[in-house]
Amino acid sequence: MSSPSLVTPAPAVEPIPAPPSVIDRLIAVVGERNVIREPVDLRTYECDALTSFRAAPSVVVLPASTEEVAAAVRIAVDAGMPIVPRGAGTGLSGGALPVPGCMLLGLSRMKRILEVNLEDGWIRVQPGVINLDVSKEISAAGYYYAPDPSSQSVCTIGGNVAENSGGAHCLKYGFTVNHVRGVRMVTAAGEVVDIGGPVLDGPGYDLLGVVVGSEGTLGIVTEVVLRILRKPEATRTFFATFPSTDEAGNCVSEIIGTGIVPAAIEMMDRLAIQAAVAATGLDWPDVGAALLMDVDGCTAEAEHTSEVAVRIARRTGALEVRVPKNDDERMLMWKGRKSAFAAMGRLAPNYIVQDGVIPRKDISRVLGEIARLSQERGLRVANVFHAGDGNLHPLVLYDARVPGEEHAAEEMAGEILRICIRYGGSITGEHGVGADKAPYMAEMFSDADLDTMAKVRCAFDPGTTFNPSKVFPTPRLCGDRPGPYRPHSTELAGLADRG
Amino acid sequence: MTAAAEILEELATARQERPSTLAEAAEVLRRADRDGERVLFLGGGTELALGTPPSGVEVILATEQLERVVEHAPLDQIVTVEGGVRLASLQDLLARSGQMLALDAPWAARATLGGLVATNAFGPRRTRYGSIRDLIIGISIVRADGTEARGGGKVVKNVAGFDLPKLMVGSLGTLGLIATVTFRLHPRPETERTVLFSDLDADAVRQVVLTLREAQLEPAAVAALVREGGDDLGVRFDGRFELGVRFEGFEAGVRQQAMKLLDLATRQRWRAESLGAEIARAFWARHDDARESPAGFRAKLAAQPTDLERVANAAIGSLFTALEVPRCVVYPVLGLAFVAGEVRVPGQVAAAVTAAREAVPEGSVVLHAAPAEVRAAVDVWGRPPAALPLMKAVKQRLDPARRLAPGRFVGGL
Repeated sequence: MSSPSLVTPAPAVEPIPAPPSVIDRLIAVVGERNVIREPVDLRTYECDALTSFRAAPSVVVLPASTEEVAAAVRIAVDAGMPIVPRGAGTGLSGGALPVPGCMLLGLSRMKRILEVNLEDGWIRVQPGVINLDVSKEISAAGYYYAPDPSSQSVCTIGGNVAENSGGAHCLKYGFTVNHVRGVRMVTAAGEVVDIGGPVLDGPGYDLLGVVVGSEGTLGIVTEVVLRILRKPEATRTFFATFPSTDEAGNCVSEIIGTGIVPAAIEMMDRLAIQAAVAATGLDWPDVGAALLMDVDGCTAEAEHTSEVAVRIARRTGALEVRVPKNDDERMLMWKGRKSAFAAMGRLAPNYIVQDGVIPRKDISRVLGEIARLSQERGLRVANVFHAGDGNLHPLVLYDARVPGEEHAAEEMAGEILRICIRYGGSITGEHGVGADKAPYMAEMFSDADLDTMAKVRCAFDPGTTFNPSKVFPTPRLCGDRPGPYRPHSTELAGLADRG
Repeated sequence: MTAAAEILEELATARQERPSTLAEAAEVLRRADRDGERVLFLGGGTELALGTPPSGVEVILATEQLERVVEHAPLDQIVTVEGGVRLASLQDLLARSGQMLALDAPWAARATLGGLVATNAFGPRRTRYGSIRDLIIGISIVRADGTEARGGGKVVKNVAGFDLPKLMVGSLGTLGLIATVTFRLHPRPETERTVLFSDLDADAVRQVVLTLREAQLEPAAVAALVREGGDDLGVRFDGRFELGVRFEGFEAGVRQQAMKLLDLATRQRWRAESLGAEIARAFWARHDDARESPAGFRAKLAAQPTDLERVANAAIGSLFTALEVPRCVVYPVLGLAFVAGEVRVPGQVAAAVTAAREAVPEGSVVLHAAPAEVRAAVDVWGRPPAALPLMKAVKQRLDPARRLAPGRFVGGL
């Protein structure tokens, strides 16, 4: 495999201009103002929330309908241009990173809620709808949309579908894929196809399961049917502090071992707590670890499980257990947790958000390994994570002004992924592979595994038009015969080289 | 003769392979690839009649000896099994750790996990826990060319790479052999209680479902059975159901929810009672009978839950009229139902299938078992799905020579 990129690439070169004929055809479809082609404007789109990779697209198209998306796809395919879809650009793995010479399809204008069916429990939306706006739409009726990534007030459903986004509450309620009933998608042939729909168990392959989480490599989703849930009768929350992550980890294991399925159970270590305090002014103490847990369901069940969990926390060495007195206090606790990433800016000038998964029972050992690594490399690591499902978010802190420190931080973030793989976990629990982790796919999966996935990709997109050079460690063309990997044309041109 | 027996007879001339390791299974497939042989995978044989009988099968690869539990990590609440492990024996093993696979599919003593995944089987617990696609987290397959590949992993949260596990769910042996499967597990509930509504029409069943949701109740299983409204001549369909609502979990929550539901039922004047353990078992045994007893004809209906009245009257009603000893289970929260029975006049049953399909234009009616005469008159799968061209492309990439269960699946996949 090619080794992961360890340095921030130099600022992107000037965008490769799109052919005038392409621009004219696009303007005819979406109108002048929705075709962005001035180099200075294109720069806005040169990265997503993973800012260490940058490349300007040749043109940005902002369609407003499925038909406009289909027309734009056909224009790009005719011109041999790769297509990179983009939602709100909040992704942390470079999934919306343009490839040089590409048409970037921005779906932010497609933000209408099309149909609400409370009785059958679904809602049909366009991909540019913001995650939280789905819940807002149905909140008055007592319903909500369960997946809740920390960025839910800005990220879009289309991006959630591409990344199979999770969130703190997916421990009990599942990920985006468990909440998508159907999609309307524009294929690489520029055709519109419905996959799944409100009714369960349509005959045929579960293509929906593959499309969700395919990171924009299989098609452009233009409508989504989401499952919506009735709000639970009661939610009980507690915040508990511990001397170290060891005790907190044991507490999590014991709670789950008693048969409780918490709605969410989040852990923060000392640095993460400090950052949350600095950002929100919460009166959390300076301790080695903290847990924030939600249980929900009917009132009697929530009370019972909450009491049991609090008892376990005390028994496993909690220093203090706080139960919010009202909803405002509860929201404040969660605000502390959800602001932890952004709050890191208060502890260090720069940081890398890592996303890896390990078997839950190994949490203490893995945190120990990360701590050792941190000492060896002289870089601080803050840990914020979804403890219930072993989804770690180590934040590697560094100062880019110190020569070599960024390099060391990236190297260390990579080492953490290798620890996850060694423990039988995953290189990503919710942020996606994107451009960032594509090289690590070859460490987690065998050639045959990747080849099988590539065959699926080729079934949808034989010309590898959609989001090339993402997910797969080595760009490849779709041959009709099985064979060795062949480099992608962009790679041959030296444009997609990872160094 | 049941449809499955018919198919087995048809397949009697095929060579039987019973590999006892995954390496041997891969070798069987490599040889079949080299010799251009067509292959059918056989698990417990419980859904053999599902789909169009595959044509010209030369090799039957039976998974009965691939029955190892590869890993059970109770603390991580996951299990990895080989495809030939039977559901009931896995549940026995998991119960020792106070855990379960939240899959209560029919024929648990015979059905294998590989077969259950391949057929997307489910039972009443799907109401709360979702279907196999919501429980499966990893898979290893052997492709038509003998290549071993895996997707997903053994952690519940994982978005690395395409979701091959879900692609294999319901693929009916047409994409590859399901060699091992990894599932997430759930704690076994501390207790359970069933509330039975003994006499409801379809509209009332729908209203109970809405009431459950409005009242923020979270039942683990909800199933409606057609009431025994028959006389000596057999079961008639008079549009009335008995509805069982089962709560599972910790005692406090189960009790509160059952009481709340009874209270709501009284207010709505629905006849309902909380069943004692034995009577509850009897209700769920009737459910199991309706799902499992041998039948020459079995169909699965899917529609929007709120369409239940139309489904009951037009679809279930017409099938009941055409079938002998008909029976039916409805999962009203899911919008899914099974109707089974014996075929006396194939033409009538075929006409009833067509009528049922017309009644659920946005849904589907799939024949899980039907005699050849019925299958000749109506397509087993119904109207092809909109995404059939993409499905064909996936099949083409993974099994280009179309040697795995050729023609069995939707649209000749």
